[in-house]
Amino acid sequence: MKKQSKPKLAFFDFTDCEGCQLQFANMGETLLELLDLVDIVSFREIMSESAEDYDIAFIEGSITTDNDVLRVKKIREKAKILVALGSCAAIGGVNGVKNRSSLDAAKAIVYGDKGRAINSIKAMPVKEVVHVDYTINGCPVYLPEVVSVVKCLLMGKPYIVPDYPVCVECKMNENVCRYEKDQECMGTVTRAGCNSWCINNGNRCYGCRGLLDNPAAEAQKDILNKYGLKIEDVLKHFTLYNDSMGEKYDQEFK
Amino acid sequence: MKYATLQKTNLNDWLEYLKKKAKLYAPRKKEGHFVFRPVKEVEDVCLEYIPTILPPKKYYFPQKERLFKFSAQPFKTAKAIDTFDEFILFGVHTCDIAGIQCMDVVFRDGPEDPNYLNRKDKMAIIGIECLKYCDKHANCVSMGNHIPRGGYDLMMIDIGDKFIIHINSEKGEKLVKGVDFIKESTEKEMIDLERVREEKKKIFKEEFYAPLSRIYDSFDKSFNSEVWKDVGKRCVGCGNCTAVCPTCYCFDVADEMELNLNDGVRYRIWNSCQMDDFARVAGGEDFRKGRDSRQRHRYYRKFKYPVDKFNRYFCTGCGRCTRTCMAGISLIDTVNALAPVAIE
Amino acid sequence: MIEREILLEKMKTSPYKPMRGRIIAAEMLTEKEKLFRIELEGRLNLSHEPGQFVMVSIFGYGEGPISVCSSPSDKGYFEITVRNVGVLTDKLHKLEKGDILGIRGPFGKGFPVDNMFGYDVMIVAGGLGIVPLRSLIRYIMFHRNDFGNVQILLGCKSPKELLFEAETKEWMRRAEIKFNCTVDRGDPDWKGNVGLITTLIPNVDINPMRTYGIVVGPPIMYKFVIVKLLEKKIPDHQIIVSLERRMKCGLGKCGHCQIEGMYVCQSGPVFNYAQLKNFKGECHEKAI
Repeated sequence: MKKQSKPKLAFFDFTDCEGCQLQFANMGETLLELLDLVDIVSFREIMSESAEDYDIAFIEGSITTDNDVLRVKKIREKAKILVALGSCAAIGGVNGVKNRSSLDAAKAIVYGDKGRAINSIKAMPVKEVVHVDYTINGCPVYLPEVVSVVKCLLMGKPYIVPDYPVCVECKMNENVCRYEKDQECMGTVTRAGCNSWCINNGNRCYGCRGLLDNPAAEAQKDILNKYGLKIEDVLKHFTLYNDSMGEKYDQEFK
Repeated sequence: MKYATLQKTNLNDWLEYLKKKAKLYAPRKKEGHFVFRPVKEVEDVCLEYIPTILPPKKYYFPQKERLFKFSAQPFKTAKAIDTFDEFILFGVHTCDIAGIQCMDVVFRDGPEDPNYLNRKDKMAIIGIECLKYCDKHANCVSMGNHIPRGGYDLMMIDIGDKFIIHINSEKGEKLVKGVDFIKESTEKEMIDLERVREEKKKIFKEEFYAPLSRIYDSFDKSFNSEVWKDVGKRCVGCGNCTAVCPTCYCFDVADEMELNLNDGVRYRIWNSCQMDDFARVAGGEDFRKGRDSRQRHRYYRKFKYPVDKFNRYFCTGCGRCTRTCMAGISLIDTVNALAPVAIE
Repeated sequence: MIEREILLEKMKTSPYKPMRGRIIAAEMLTEKEKLFRIELEGRLNLSHEPGQFVMVSIFGYGEGPISVCSSPSDKGYFEITVRNVGVLTDKLHKLEKGDILGIRGPFGKGFPVDNMFGYDVMIVAGGLGIVPLRSLIRYIMFHRNDFGNVQILLGCKSPKELLFEAETKEWMRRAEIKFNCTVDRGDPDWKGNVGLITTLIPNVDINPMRTYGIVVGPPIMYKFVIVKLLEKKIPDHQIIVSLERRMKCGLGKCGHCQIEGMYVCQSGPVFNYAQLKNFKGECHEKAI
């Protein structure tokens, strides 16, 4: 590919921990290979200069202020392709916790008396504000998936996020089921695509990739009951990452 | 030589010997469960085990298998079928051997699948006969798979302080011939073997309420049974039951590009009829909607369709699907729930 | 038939590896459908039966089943018509003359043309159903004297979705076949019938025992059309359908296209109604 034809890629962070960008920066040799295909023009974590001219925008973080809304709309106008990077951008992520109480109450909890002066709106995934072309789920994002998505966007084809549960990949990896270890794993109702990363490493699934389109909510409740969990506990697990989709959770699991 | 004897004290020596002959896979412990793994230390091999999380199918029908390499521009495909190294599956239960026989039938049925058959060609199977039940989830007796019924190269039977090894093929014979601590079995040892088998008959009993032919009839009549609705309600659609089944072989085909966006690999990857999009066509129509009909399909693919097509039941009785199901959907219970229909 | 043997041999040694196919002509038929004329490597004839399908690949974008819409009597090339509905077909639509794609096949069982010799033929096509049926129609036209009366009923949603326009006009003109067309919704320029395809069937005059009724269309259409054909007293074995399923391997292995015990990619996609009747509930197209 000719040098001048390389698309320009820029990173933007909103309300997040920048952990997903860090994953990207940690890609190692693959990142160097990627640089044959794209020019990274703005990436605060690995470079000091920053350009305002870009083709592909990677958005990290959820939208939580009026200013965020304006800013992400501007980025959308400029970018040919917009990618939601990580749970916060894709589904709202942990920031969604503030949506569970009124904004005033949330502000008071966090900022005390000064809360009144702070501009804050409900936490939203990027897709609630602007059109998103590609979604990379995960907290943090899973690098092999990031690479797959980048390939797709460079080939001009959509990336289809799996709509089957983490269990599918987990079984292929021949992990011992977390339920057998009395852990309330969210894998059964969580979208796959992470190659059961957490479980492979001895953890359980926290549901960071969001709920399946068609989760078997009733059956899942039975399972959790069978393993001695109360529905309140279960809701806590479900809402760790997915509060901005709260209604769906309430509908499915309450 | 048809039967040979191996002293248990020599088991590890034999494993060392086999390890040098070919790539050796055997069951070992994993967090209170068992898995087939390449043998690094022979001491890790565990012959007293309940069925592994995944059946050994992962070695002859891998989770993700390369079909061929390609280049997009110019259009090019590399050699279609990989060459494989010789390998030995050690300590395979009779139920899993039955699973291998089922897979053979499917992939040999025309049009043949050379990817499977070539890999299978390089495989030697050393079985071990179970002398007690692994747990309450197995239905191997009803399926007739609790005793060896061929399909292996060697079969080991524990008769106390030694193993009798049934030699069932030339390939198998090569793995015992010339090993100085493996001797032809004596008449006394053969009598011991008979005794062990007699003892076994007392322990193993049919698990289904009805004999298999009646079970088949009940499936014929149960397509619209309430049983499926109940199973469908409990199912989360995670696909565990199909992943762990030694006779589930459905797959998807997908391309993976290298970063140059021109060269890549087409591979096949395990897929499951329990997935939402499994039978959905590009236009959007889903031809098997609902977890009830998907579960029914899974059962019919074990007890009805393959019997009609190959005269072979595709349930081996290993019990894995029940063991792995978080919702506690039990194969024995489900089949037995249909059984009243058979008795009518 | 040596070419067919070469193809079979290729499939036997490496059934998953596609052959090279060169696009020698490409044409948009409607907003959503594109016709490709393809020449196989070594100019092999595809030697297919009308109604069979091929697996078409573009490396990196995947592979999918596509009906062949030309007749085996069209030598030196074959044709496919592709609707843009997904990743692969979207990429296919971007290909033009001279581009290369991968072809495996032909797969499955086609229309029972040998059994149909001497019979009258009534073809009912809905929407994209005309694509595999075009193969059959062209075959019949080529061997016209081997068949009795031929009538074609074609239906689609609106006039602008009508496929093979020039060809259908030609069918309309030809005296040796009867051709009738209807649309669900007309437009100001449309002079033909308006209404569902089932409305055309009662009017046709047939000798049921001597007639094959061939139906291909969207899943919802079959039930209603089959009922009409049964009312006409066409025997079960002479009602022929072609079913769309999600074929992935074409070899009766991968499981995606299965209807109960039947692999559509091997036993179908063409079935007769006697076979359909045996399905217990997974065949959406079966008449109630």
